[in-house]
Amino acid sequence: MPKHIFRLVSLILGLLVVAIIAKPFLTVDSFYRFGHYRANSVTEIAAQEPVLQTARYCEGCHSARHAQWSAGSHKSVTCEICHGAAQGHPQNGKLPIPKDAVKLCTQCHEAMPGRPRTQPQIQVAQHSSGQQCTVCHNPHSPKIAAALVKVAGDAAAGKQRAAACASCHGTDGISPNDTWPNLAGQNAAYLARILAAYKSGDQKDVAMTPLAQALGDAEIQNLAAYYAGLGCKSAPGKSAAGDAAAGKALAKNCAACHGETGGGSNPAWPKLAAQKPGYLVNALKAFKAGLRKDPMMAGVSRGLSDTDIANLAAYYAAQSCQSTK
Amino acid sequence: MKNDDKPSLAARREFLSKLGRAATCTGAAIGAAALGVMPNVSAKSEPAADAGSFPTKDYDWSKHQWGFGVDATKCIGCLRCVEACKRENDVPVNAHQFRTWVERYVHLEDDPEVHIDSQQDPVNIEASGSEKEFRFANRYKDAKVDKAFFVPKLCNHCTHPACVQVCPTGATYRTEDGVVLIDHGYCIGCRYCVQACPYGARYFNEEKGVSDKCTWCYHRITKGLQPACVEVCPVGARVFGDQNDKQSPISLFIRNNRVQVLRPETGNAPNVFYVGIDKEVN
Repeated sequence: MPKHIFRLVSLILGLLVVAIIAKPFLTVDSFYRFGHYRANSVTEIAAQEPVLQTARYCEGCHSARHAQWSAGSHKSVTCEICHGAAQGHPQNGKLPIPKDAVKLCTQCHEAMPGRPRTQPQIQVAQHSSGQQCTVCHNPHSPKIAAALVKVAGDAAAGKQRAAACASCHGTDGISPNDTWPNLAGQNAAYLARILAAYKSGDQKDVAMTPLAQALGDAEIQNLAAYYAGLGCKSAPGKSAAGDAAAGKALAKNCAACHGETGGGSNPAWPKLAAQKPGYLVNALKAFKAGLRKDPMMAGVSRGLSDTDIANLAAYYAAQSCQSTK
Repeated sequence: MKNDDKPSLAARREFLSKLGRAATCTGAAIGAAALGVMPNVSAKSEPAADAGSFPTKDYDWSKHQWGFGVDATKCIGCLRCVEACKRENDVPVNAHQFRTWVERYVHLEDDPEVHIDSQQDPVNIEASGSEKEFRFANRYKDAKVDKAFFVPKLCNHCTHPACVQVCPTGATYRTEDGVVLIDHGYCIGCRYCVQACPYGARYFNEEKGVSDKCTWCYHRITKGLQPACVEVCPVGARVFGDQNDKQSPISLFIRNNRVQVLRPETGNAPNVFYVGIDKEVN
């Protein structure tokens, strides 16, 4: 072998040997443990902290909301989709309540080619005239039809049972007193729902709770059918304390559910036209204080001042109940 | 060349010759020693392999074989998965780098070509208002749509991943429980893997100087949670579970549906199974 080739080969061999020796010292321990990679990196990746915490994490403190949400049609829409990741909450402060519900809700519910037919979709322009979705829908349980109870009662039987109610609500369903509501012509589904709520204890009233507890389910249906069938005989109450004109402006926010003049557009919700102003004031204040529980009314009454409430009551009390708008 | 240079040349040749011999001798000596040393070094990590579960003390990867299902007939294109993934995995907040994304396929009447867009399409970025939020623009609202559907995409966690094969440093690998991961500490940012992936599932993270992709939220699934995208999907279009468990959501999904994988001809053997997609999807 020529000398220079021998030198070259031995130099290469020498470097090779050095490399082979150096390799185990330069390679981290865990590298070949399972294969051609660093086993410790698996442990490092597995040790990262989750950012999204799941609904179970929220349930601990927000149990009432959680119960409502998990019973509704939005139960597949987890808390963190709308409120953001819960990591660091509550230590680092509150999670946001989405401001622009239209933008958020239409992410899923805007009618769009490609969305499966089973997905509830709306034509945004024709659906709400720019109002926020949360005005009518409770985002935690958005299905409105859930409040609608079918009423199939016997009005004649209801009339007999109604004799017991007459002392407060009037013989013909027109209350003689400012603080008790008129029942004549009220929506049957609403009447049945509220009576059932008194009976179950979901809604409480010193006078109504024991009375409703004495009623059977069929009697509730009969009573609802009877009062709903009575003519409301528009009897505007004594002039109320509030400013009806100011109330009219406020009432625009209520129109989607209660109708423009309180005539009611959906039988699930009460008619308000010609209702007793004292009763309306009390009811709104009860919603605001959380004494009467309704997710939608709690939301809309939160921002009302006592003057607003008086104005609204004055407006609705002055409307004719014959109107169905 | 001058004559007086000769002595120095000869001296250099002599020196190199001696150095060569010395190197050979030392090499042979150390080489012999190394044969004794090397088995010791490799043996050092052996006992740890059977000590307890790996990779964490509560999770044993030899007991799982993860799989992912996508039901395109359910997807509504709300992109909550994309946002959740970005938040969960510290993916750069822009409209161009994603670990998971959603594509829309639209067939119009009298048009043989399929229209494909995803949330990174300029029209969709404009509809969302910024590159930090994601939304599909209602651009086919007034068109005569023959057929349209959404397809969520993510890393397929292939059984024979091309990306792992090309990695020069062992920075990407397939775990025993069937997840393809990236060791960001060992990634040198050469982007061979980004090129090699036939599904475009990898992106290059300029901030960190490394390749990045979906891990099926390995840090979540090893703690008994669902991946973030599965957790937030409101319509159940994404399904995840353990293929070893015959009652897991993914086993039921594969058993109860006619499933397919993307680009089976590449031989990567993906582990994301699709239902309800057309031949245009790949």
